[in-house]
Amino acid sequence: MATGQHGLASLRRTSSVANYTNSAGPRHRRSFSTIPPSRSNEMLQTARPTRSPQPPAGMASEMDRTSDISAKGMTASTGVSSQHSSLSANAQPRNDAAVRGPRRLRSQYPRGSSEQHVEYILVASFDIDRGPVMEHQYPVAITGDEHMLAELMLPDQAHVRNQDWTIFFLHKDTSQEEDDAERRAKQERRARRNRKRDRAKGIIHESDDEDEEGGALDDDDWDDDVSTDSEPEGGEGPPLVYVLNLVNTKQDKTVKRGAVVKAMAICTRHPFLHIYKPLLLLALEEYFKSPVPETLAMLYNAVNEMDLSLMPKLSHLERHLLQASDNKDLFVEKFEQMIQARIAEEAGREDVLQPFDASNEPLKRPSIFRSGSRAHIEGHAAYVVPRDTHEFESKVMYKGIPIPIKVPVAVMPEIVGDFSLIKLIQNFSDPHTKSPQAFPLHPHLTTNGPNTHPIIVLINALLTQKRVIFLGHNMPSGEVAEAVLAACALASGGILRGFTRYAFPYTDLTKIDDLLKVPGFIAGVTNPTFEHHPEWWDLLCDLPTGKMKISSKIEAAPITEGLVYFQQQNPAYANLVHSSSSSGSSSSNNDLTGDAAFMADVLRSIATRAGERVIRAKWRAWVLKFTRIAAAFEESVYGTSALYIGSDEQEAHLAGAHGHGYVWVDEATKAKELAGNVTRIEGWRNTRSYYSFIQDVAQLYTIRPLKGLDLAHLHDRLRAQRLTPAQSKEIYDTLAKYVRSYDEICLLLSVAPESQAGLFYIALGLFHKDRDVRFKTAELLERIAEHEAGQHWWRALSRFEKLAYVRIKREAEAEVKAKLEKEERDGFSPVERRIS
Amino acid sequence: MGASMSISSLFGKLFGSKEVRILMLGLDAAGKTTILYKLKLNQTMTTIPTVGFNVETFTYKNIKFNMWDVGGQDKIRPLWRHYYSGTQGLVFVVDSSDHARIKEARTELHRILNDLEMSDCLLLVFANKQDIQGAMDIKTITKELELSKLEKRPWFVQPAIAIQGEGLTEGFGWLSDNIKNMAKK
Repeated sequence: MATGQHGLASLRRTSSVANYTNSAGPRHRRSFSTIPPSRSNEMLQTARPTRSPQPPAGMASEMDRTSDISAKGMTASTGVSSQHSSLSANAQPRNDAAVRGPRRLRSQYPRGSSEQHVEYILVASFDIDRGPVMEHQYPVAITGDEHMLAELMLPDQAHVRNQDWTIFFLHKDTSQEEDDAERRAKQERRARRNRKRDRAKGIIHESDDEDEEGGALDDDDWDDDVSTDSEPEGGEGPPLVYVLNLVNTKQDKTVKRGAVVKAMAICTRHPFLHIYKPLLLLALEEYFKSPVPETLAMLYNAVNEMDLSLMPKLSHLERHLLQASDNKDLFVEKFEQMIQARIAEEAGREDVLQPFDASNEPLKRPSIFRSGSRAHIEGHAAYVVPRDTHEFESKVMYKGIPIPIKVPVAVMPEIVGDFSLIKLIQNFSDPHTKSPQAFPLHPHLTTNGPNTHPIIVLINALLTQKRVIFLGHNMPSGEVAEAVLAACALASGGILRGFTRYAFPYTDLTKIDDLLKVPGFIAGVTNPTFEHHPEWWDLLCDLPTGKMKISSKIEAAPITEGLVYFQQQNPAYANLVHSSSSSGSSSSNNDLTGDAAFMADVLRSIATRAGERVIRAKWRAWVLKFTRIAAAFEESVYGTSALYIGSDEQEAHLAGAHGHGYVWVDEATKAKELAGNVTRIEGWRNTRSYYSFIQDVAQLYTIRPLKGLDLAHLHDRLRAQRLTPAQSKEIYDTLAKYVRSYDEICLLLSVAPESQAGLFYIALGLFHKDRDVRFKTAELLERIAEHEAGQHWWRALSRFEKLAYVRIKREAEAEVKAKLEKEERDGFSPVERRIS
Repeated sequence: MGASMSISSLFGKLFGSKEVRILMLGLDAAGKTTILYKLKLNQTMTTIPTVGFNVETFTYKNIKFNMWDVGGQDKIRPLWRHYYSGTQGLVFVVDSSDHARIKEARTELHRILNDLEMSDCLLLVFANKQDIQGAMDIKTITKELELSKLEKRPWFVQPAIAIQGEGLTEGFGWLSDNIKNMAKK
């Protein structure tokens, strides 16, 4: 058994390499494929400092790498992955592979994982004598206050609508036993992996012989690989349980008082709970016909049989790239790779079965097609790659009906359910544009004076942890919940945390006492009585009118040390800071924060029909900028900041690269922008999102490539500042020198998003007056073009810059050729210099 | 207009413009929602139990009523208190045919009126469902609800048949007269 499995595993690896060229269509060929013979020379000359936690294993891997690169020229885009496969096939130490290429692909939701897609199904009804009651729970009763759950499931005014959706979150702890078992299993897997690794290096453990091969072999595929890849968990307790709830009211003359109100809910730990909407509709209808636990069981089994095992798991950086990109093909290779692995696995299984049934005709290899392609529609394809790599397509079989499901691939923190930032922004922008209403001043909220855009007031309120209520009187509670989820995403940008955990997408009066115990929350309500209680909230966002109200009872912002220091350090700009003492009129006219310009840009994008993803990317950039400005503020005022790590290391390690942090054109611009931001930064410090961001920064730093090099800073200097040729040379040299591996290129791409300028500023190095810079930039761009994600950035580059690239490559080739000819004449053999 | 301006600017922040906030409470199935929609739409609707609340605005005798009708099941009665602040008038609806629960109604009514936030509000009781055989008359209702115990507060009991709209205008007539008196004070 054990050996059989082993054979299977190696077969899978090799066959995935073999299959590769077949599957990679012309789509993946990069536009320019010049293969530089000079590359390997240079590679060996450059001493590469160690920046990764796992140092390369000496010369052997260095050689391996160079040989891979020469092979890479053949199959441009697939090279990166085949490089990796060849490493594992050669039984290289595993950690080495982790440094070089993209890690071995794992499934985000592996088959046979103990984690269920859906944990509970609940049904509640409105009893005319007792109010909301829980009717059934499956598979077991969820712990906690059952009555409270039933109340949440029957939103206010459910009786005036036939149908309503709600969403709410439960802070349910995993039970102690579950926790322990999970932890033990993780430790075991890790220990086993370490032993394997050690053995590969020749270290032998005494306990080695015990249950090594006997245990579940594919355990290694399970992702708990904290050391390489896992993203920070936010550190605020167990993941939330997300509840999607559907309530139906049916008029029924036969029952007392003429109506039946029932609700069914799905409880899941996946943030993409909206995918279950069609299923809940069917299942609740079914439950009205047969109100028995079996109806719940049927739904529970159907959704948990949903197969997502072919969805690749992306690294932190890859997820950021995918989320920020509008490109439907980004990382499509990974989906193909997953399928190849599956096909190989199944072929392997057939091989095992073959001897028992010799008459079996060899089955045709299933082929891969893009979803929506002709072959797919005609039904030839056994496996399909999604039409858009942002969504993985699967299906749930419910009562024999296949229900198509689309699951988001890049799941970012604080992005829960489906919502529209555009809708939220428009809802509060249109009334503001038509009849702007002056806000009473509050230093944390009205950063642009009384006419601060309401959306900016909202994000300020969220950042400074105020109590925010979305009120949607006469609206379905689902719409209110959507606004809350959108607000969380707005403030988080997928970067900051601590919003969804304190969000109550739908709540009602019954929970008010508990709600008021929460310091800073985002809640959705439909009951207008909330408006009459300004002591319950700081900011009330009225959805039907699109007006926001700052509470008359809001706590005043304290004068903080940071604010005072800033004013002392920058007396010239002190009066620009509108603290509670000043009127704020001086700062309201000029847009110090740049928020007015930003909002105008966002609204313009919306008006020109930019998609939701574009708008989300803009907000993400806003949040990122805010954190970077906050870091710059802390450094200038307090002398140090925990919001950025790496400055010390940089001085110790790297030569050439300079500086970190946000880039301003000049000091005066910096002082002005800081002055505009002081109050909300000071309000942000000491909040949950601030502290968890510090935690995340520290944790991400451990898995980040290129520690001690702030690529964003370097890129921003190229973009924003007037540099002398010497200064820009330094930056281009640094980029060319250090950005080499798969992850390093991912990092560079993430600071140069397609939605902004892409590779434009980097490619400007092709026009640098220094010949050396031009050559090195061309090489860097070539590496990017060969990169799985980078190829798309490369393709978006302007024709002008591409032509410059080709010209420089030709120049370089001619030069090398001339050099080689000269060497040949002088009697040296070039083969000795090039390792292959 | 001039005289009322000062009042509206005084109250404007709290209640919005010249609106009078009325809260309608009572045990479940007393007829609250039916009264609300009879007044608002002049239609008799078949109502189903209120999940949470209903709120409607209508104008009667030049007064804009913002009337809240809150679900009456005993489990959700503790929520009533959240609706008290800013309420100028309480409409308490009693099912006059429900002898068994008249004591329960009394307890609830006095609990509401004892709340500090309700100390200044008017009380209108609708002795509803007078069309049902054996319904208590207003004298009995007054006695059962122990209204004589209320000291300073203006109160009024109005017999009503909500589904036919009988008694409703009379009740609200009393309410609007007294609200005008309050405003004059």
